[in-house]
Amino acid sequence: MRLFIRQALLLSLKDTRLFFKDRFALGFALLFPILFIVAFSLALGDIGPEDEQLRMAVATEEENGFSREVIDILTVTETTGVDEWDPKDAGLALHEGRIPGYLLFPVDFTQRIFSGESTEILVITADGDPETKAVLDGLARSIGGRIGTLSLAVRGVTELEGLGSLDLVKLGELGAAPPSIFFTSEQVGDVEPFNATNFTLPGYLTMFVFFAAALGAEAIARERQTQTLERLLANGVRRSSIVGGKMLASLYRGLLQLFFLWVLGIFAFSIDFGTSPLAVIAVSVFMAVASSAFGVMLAALVQTVKSASSAAVLTSLTLAPLGGCWWPLFITPDWMQALARLTPHGWANDAFNKLMLFGAEGQDVLVHIGALALFAVAFLAVAVGRFRTVSAN
Amino acid sequence: MEDFLVASDLTKSFDGTQVVASASFTVRSQEIFGLLGPNGAGKTTTIRMLSTVLDPDEGDIRIGGHSVAGESDAVRRLIGVCPQELALYPELSATDNLVFFGRMAGLPGGEAKARAAEILERVGLTDRAKDAVRKYSGGMKRRVNIAIALMSKPRLLFLDEPTVGIDPQSRNHIFDTVLALRDEGMSVLYTTHYMEEADRLCDRIGIMDAGHVIALGTPVELKTRIGNPDTTTLEEVFLSLTGRSLRD
Ligand SMILES: Nc1ncnc2c1ncn2[C@@H]1O[C@H](COP(=O)(O)OP(=O)(O)OP(=O)(O)O)[C@@H](O)[C@H]1O
Ligand SMILES: [Mg+2]
Repeated sequence: MRLFIRQALLLSLKDTRLFFKDRFALGFALLFPILFIVAFSLALGDIGPEDEQLRMAVATEEENGFSREVIDILTVTETTGVDEWDPKDAGLALHEGRIPGYLLFPVDFTQRIFSGESTEILVITADGDPETKAVLDGLARSIGGRIGTLSLAVRGVTELEGLGSLDLVKLGELGAAPPSIFFTSEQVGDVEPFNATNFTLPGYLTMFVFFAAALGAEAIARERQTQTLERLLANGVRRSSIVGGKMLASLYRGLLQLFFLWVLGIFAFSIDFGTSPLAVIAVSVFMAVASSAFGVMLAALVQTVKSASSAAVLTSLTLAPLGGCWWPLFITPDWMQALARLTPHGWANDAFNKLMLFGAEGQDVLVHIGALALFAVAFLAVAVGRFRTVSAN
Repeated sequence: MEDFLVASDLTKSFDGTQVVASASFTVRSQEIFGLLGPNGAGKTTTIRMLSTVLDPDEGDIRIGGHSVAGESDAVRRLIGVCPQELALYPELSATDNLVFFGRMAGLPGGEAKARAAEILERVGLTDRAKDAVRKYSGGMKRRVNIAIALMSKPRLLFLDEPTVGIDPQSRNHIFDTVLALRDEGMSVLYTTHYMEEADRLCDRIGIMDAGHVIALGTPVELKTRIGNPDTTTLEEVFLSLTGRSLRD
């Protein structure tokens, strides 16, 4: 065991030195993913509501009352992304396509709340614009939620003064509606724009950690061809130490990529690790372990350097889109999501999305971490079983 | 002289093709044994089996009294291998290459460094020891390839075509080194396609063809088989034994 550790460590340190001397490998592992992340964050960022064209319009038919208060709060600064419109202007602007839609508070909005009747906020959008409708629905629901709690306070006052009663059930329903992401961020002060990097970064991170590990198979095949592996064997180095050392070296590279890209993501793209940053890190590490086992397995399955690089490129470019590295899995049809489960990429991306976009906790991704560990074990088993140190010449 | 290496009836097939067929020979202590043969004769495969890298299908190998099959660790402590390819890391310096392989062979760091300096001096590379091997000439690379094999202080050295594609200066330097190593007590198994090289260096020679060892003896004994040893060349012996048809 001591011999194994010593040999594997020495071997992996040597490989790491070589990695730092190899400008192409370094660039591929670290700079390439940055290029992709920047490019696709910019491209996908355009569809997010932080865009100027997607500002939201609200209008009220009331002179004063609750809707006035709400609109004042919503439009207090530029950053909230909400503009107040005159109801007639808003209708016209929608008609002419200057705004995609708006929220309208009816003239009896406040009065109905006070009299205990149900009231409504109108979501008015052009036909066939589900995106705007979804955004405005979310805003309306979050306002409803707020009015719900506000009205409860009001109810106390009005009952005391005998002015009428409120419809508790209706208000309860409004209040129970799940607040949108928008509402959540609005509560803490200013609106955070939807950050596309939160899914482009984990996606390309996963893709490139696996890609770099797969390309590592090339270096192993080269060592087989130049007979350095033979030389090591004849020197008393165990086959298992060679496999272990190669996997370790690949793991160091993967961890370096993770560290580099996550730090970059946090400082340059303000990505959000969600409520369980430790879980994000755990998923990352298990993903890197699986990738290094994958690389060594590839090396064990191919003979020549050339077949190693073809296999690396081919597997990486197939598994990445299948596993949701190029677009978020949650927008794909069920059968694609099922297919993604067959790839380690899919488990990693699903875990990242859950943690970073949907507020999942560490325990929600334990299954994912387990799946990644299983992949690692399976890949390693194939690697150990098939690893050859001698090549045909 | 005692036999340091005894190979008996070595046989190896790849995908049903026999590459080494019942090869038997010995390498004595403190001798240079030449293994000659055309391309594809099975020389490298034989060295792989002798150096514990490849298991023979049949046959038995003993090195320094240890069985290669049963006591490979003991055997590995006795041997050094200089493969046919440049089995080194071109991006690392000569020193770093030697130290790395020395440490992998079990030497502690300090000892590996000292030994690397000593061996590089011996193969005439001290001046360039810190440069990346990638920048070396062909002859210098070949010398590093041999130097690495010496790191583990072997008693038996395998040299698989160590002088391919280099100039006469480097070649002569290598000859001198190999002869000196033998004189210090090392046994050497040497393969080459250059007959005059074998004639000059080797104490005994085995000629392989299509996996079979077809002749064994000193250069003089082999020459006597086909004529007057003073006027016959080893190349003539080789061609008369292995035929003139092209290989591979
Ligand atoms: N691992 C392997 N798998 C399949 N075939 C192999 C393998 N290693 C060697 N061979 C084949 O075995 C034969 C003998 O090869 P070997 O390398 O031992 O010959 P050699 O005498 O060293 O030749 P050369 O002078 O060209 O170095 C060749 O035909 C080679 O293609
Ligand atoms: Mg050969």
